[in-house]
Amino acid sequence: MSGISRRRFLAASVAGCAATTLAGTKKALASGSFSGYPEGMGVLVDLTRCVGCRSCEAACNKEQQLPAPELPFDDKSVFDQTFHDGKQLRRPDENAYTVVNRYQPASSDQPVYRKVQCNHCSEPACLTSCFVNAYTKTKEGAVIYNSKVCVGCRNCMIACPFHIPGYSYSSAFDPVVKKCIFCHETRLKNGLPPACVEICPQEALTFGKRKELLKIGNNRIQTHPGRYVNRIYGEKELGGTSWMYLSPVPFSEVGFDPNPGNDPIINQVKDFLGTVPMVLAIWPAMFAGFHLLAKKHDGHEGHDQTADKTPGDEGDEQ
Amino acid sequence: MKSLIKCGVKLVDSPTNKESRHSWSLKQKLFFGLTPGQYFGQALRNPFNWILGIIFAIGLPLIAYRYLFGLGVVTHASNDYPWGLFLGFGLFAMVPLSASGFMLGTTVEIFGRHDFEPIERLALLNGLLGYFFAVVYLLVDLGQPWRLPYPMVVSFGPAAVLFLVAWHVATYLSVQVAEVSVAFFEWIGWLGGNRFVRRIAIGLTIAGIILSTLHQGALGALFNYAPGKVHPLWYSASFQWIHFFCSSIPAGLCMVIAVSTIVKKTMSWRCDRNFLDNLDRCTLGLAKGASLALITYLAIKLIGVAHDNEWGYLATGWGAWFMAEIGFGVILPIILFAYAIHHRKVGLARLGAFITVFGIVLNRLNTALITFNWQLYQEIPHVFEVLITITVFAIYIVVYRFILYRLPILYVWKEQPQEALAAEAVKTNTITTAPSPAGALYRRID
Amino acid sequence: MNAKLFGVTLIMAVSILATGSLSLAGDMPEQVSLDTMVKYFSGVKFDHAMHTELGEDCSRCHHHTTGTGTTDSRCVSCHADSDGVANVACRDCHVVDPFSAEHLNQKALSRYQFHIDKPGLKAVYHWNCVGCHETMSGPTGCQTCHTRTPDGDAFFHADASPVDTNWVKQLFDLK
Repeated sequence: MSGISRRRFLAASVAGCAATTLAGTKKALASGSFSGYPEGMGVLVDLTRCVGCRSCEAACNKEQQLPAPELPFDDKSVFDQTFHDGKQLRRPDENAYTVVNRYQPASSDQPVYRKVQCNHCSEPACLTSCFVNAYTKTKEGAVIYNSKVCVGCRNCMIACPFHIPGYSYSSAFDPVVKKCIFCHETRLKNGLPPACVEICPQEALTFGKRKELLKIGNNRIQTHPGRYVNRIYGEKELGGTSWMYLSPVPFSEVGFDPNPGNDPIINQVKDFLGTVPMVLAIWPAMFAGFHLLAKKHDGHEGHDQTADKTPGDEGDEQ
Repeated sequence: MKSLIKCGVKLVDSPTNKESRHSWSLKQKLFFGLTPGQYFGQALRNPFNWILGIIFAIGLPLIAYRYLFGLGVVTHASNDYPWGLFLGFGLFAMVPLSASGFMLGTTVEIFGRHDFEPIERLALLNGLLGYFFAVVYLLVDLGQPWRLPYPMVVSFGPAAVLFLVAWHVATYLSVQVAEVSVAFFEWIGWLGGNRFVRRIAIGLTIAGIILSTLHQGALGALFNYAPGKVHPLWYSASFQWIHFFCSSIPAGLCMVIAVSTIVKKTMSWRCDRNFLDNLDRCTLGLAKGASLALITYLAIKLIGVAHDNEWGYLATGWGAWFMAEIGFGVILPIILFAYAIHHRKVGLARLGAFITVFGIVLNRLNTALITFNWQLYQEIPHVFEVLITITVFAIYIVVYRFILYRLPILYVWKEQPQEALAAEAVKTNTITTAPSPAGALYRRID
Repeated sequence: MNAKLFGVTLIMAVSILATGSLSLAGDMPEQVSLDTMVKYFSGVKFDHAMHTELGEDCSRCHHHTTGTGTTDSRCVSCHADSDGVANVACRDCHVVDPFSAEHLNQKALSRYQFHIDKPGLKAVYHWNCVGCHETMSGPTGCQTCHTRTPDGDAFFHADASPVDTNWVKQLFDLK
């Protein structure tokens, strides 16, 4: 940094400011109304159908060439695993992009199984928080990730409201973010459903265009009175997600945040992004003005330390 | 050191050795006038160096271990707490504590309060080193630190808050290098560079204010990405960035008071009369600024609670913790400062400053680590993570001390007589034109 | 003229015979091989005859297609007295790959809005079999109906054991 000339880095900083100004405004305009690609695909997860066979975990492991599991995929003892003093069930990480967890809801005598994976938001928090633009929302609906540019700041993991991205902390020289990518490279973009959907013996996972899935979901709620709570989780939550859930019990009983809000995460940041160009535009003139005002009274002639060391001078500082 | 000076050791504080009339060599400058024997002797006698030695003996191998085997071996590799102590302390606490550079730059250069000049350079250096070591902490924490320049040159995510932080910290670091380089140019004896930097001082300072406002705020706005994860009392949808920016002001001012206190206690031999005589007055002045900023901060924190109607949370355990943080870290220093300023008790102001520094660090740790994921579970950092954090901080102290021992930060560099004469000539020549900062420098000599 | 008439008559006769035969118990398959999707599990030999003796109502599995009527509230408005149809096997309506691009596109073009949520073949096998077995106390385990193939063992990592390969990490973990 200190090697380059000051003029050049001043120019660079101006360019940087300009870049952020433009970017800030562009973002504020562009992200206002985006609610997913119209032809984007999605998956409707029907918790009333899932029997906890974990075939989806096995299929994901195979499709994404993940490391061998510690226990076989038909081992049901993983449902009893808890972490952090029993406060947490299993979550996706670098070794598993999807996990199935078992819940015993208060309002039901049957256990409910819930598959967890990336929900592929319409306006993803990971994407909007990434400072190297490593994430892409494809027109097929997948949120994919480019490990080639990832710096490893893990801001996406901070931002994800669903606690999805995992990081391969165990790698010293090529750690990357690991998360479900909707089988985008191997399947989705070739017109195939993701591996987990294909293997599911219960069709707990329904694959289709997101807008069709909403129709199907509403149809199921209407034609099976009493079977579902009247909500498709992901229809509107956090700006809408490509993966959505139907549940027989209130969503709070199966590990969902019941009130995540309907705003995408980026809306929380827009206030600040909006002030950036204002600060860049107003501060220079304002502080240059302060400087001129201060100089008029003080002037450079009277600023020697000796001159300032008068006793009365200290009373009116700041 | 004091005994060495009593024995007649002359410290390097001007380009030439007054007795021999020879210019100091670079080696002599590096040993600041001591012989190598004297230098290493005093270093070994200093018990603080023994502590540093122990920290480095444990911490440096751990840092090597982290780079050879990955983050997973020195942290809990948590996917729920992706930002641990390295960023929670190293980035989010170090950066506000380093707001001193732009605060004193503004006071002296913009508002023309040249009575704060004796402490300005310490504040600028504190800013530079704080930012630099925030970046060092970042390099420890990033998964692929060698890709740090990527947001500048390879792939742009301009809509991300972190993009703004990256660019602004990088450019502001350059601005601070330029600001502090004045002292370095004096020391190395290159007055051309010195004159140039002084000519653009106002521009640099205003750039510093803009960049600081934005990235201090942006660090807060980073948590706007996690509305459900940070506890509501530490989260404000509308004001998070203002909270962070506003609290960085007392943090920076109080860090200067804290550092100057330590300097006065441990290396007064390096300070000149100008610094020591003015320090108490400057301290009280900074304390006034800090207390005003703290009152403002307290007000907007309460507005934040009121705006989101979070009063109910105050009755919970988290609320007690919130009130403890505000009470100890904000209200107590305000009272201490008020009393200290009114009764001109500098020691009390210094105590208030240390408490404020602690309070701001606590606030950042609360936001990034302690109240983060308040609905999940509490992450306790891995012991190696703690040790590495301490080690990097120890490196920060060593570098800080290395520079303070040598560069004219705590003392005024005494120019050579003929250059002073030339300066007089410049001064008389430019008396009708606008006074230049370079002129100011030369007048400080006599 | 005669030839054409003969052809029509023949088709009609064959149709009548075919539909009529469905109502005759003797024409029902004794056993059905459910093996169109064999990969990780072997096929199921479904004892159709035994299940018809247990079940009192064809519509329990065959909806309205066997012409015996239906009581499902979602079907009765259209199919309360539908005639039987020619093809009543599960696989004749429920496709093996319900999420193929081809099938999804075809569904999007369909003007019928009633069968938009028709499940695939694998799902209906499991729903029908396991659902009924649960109430009738029949076998419900995966391998009580179809044994797992060697491919299936590999797929489920049947030999996985919790051997810790992160011994380096464990060694230094002071937690």
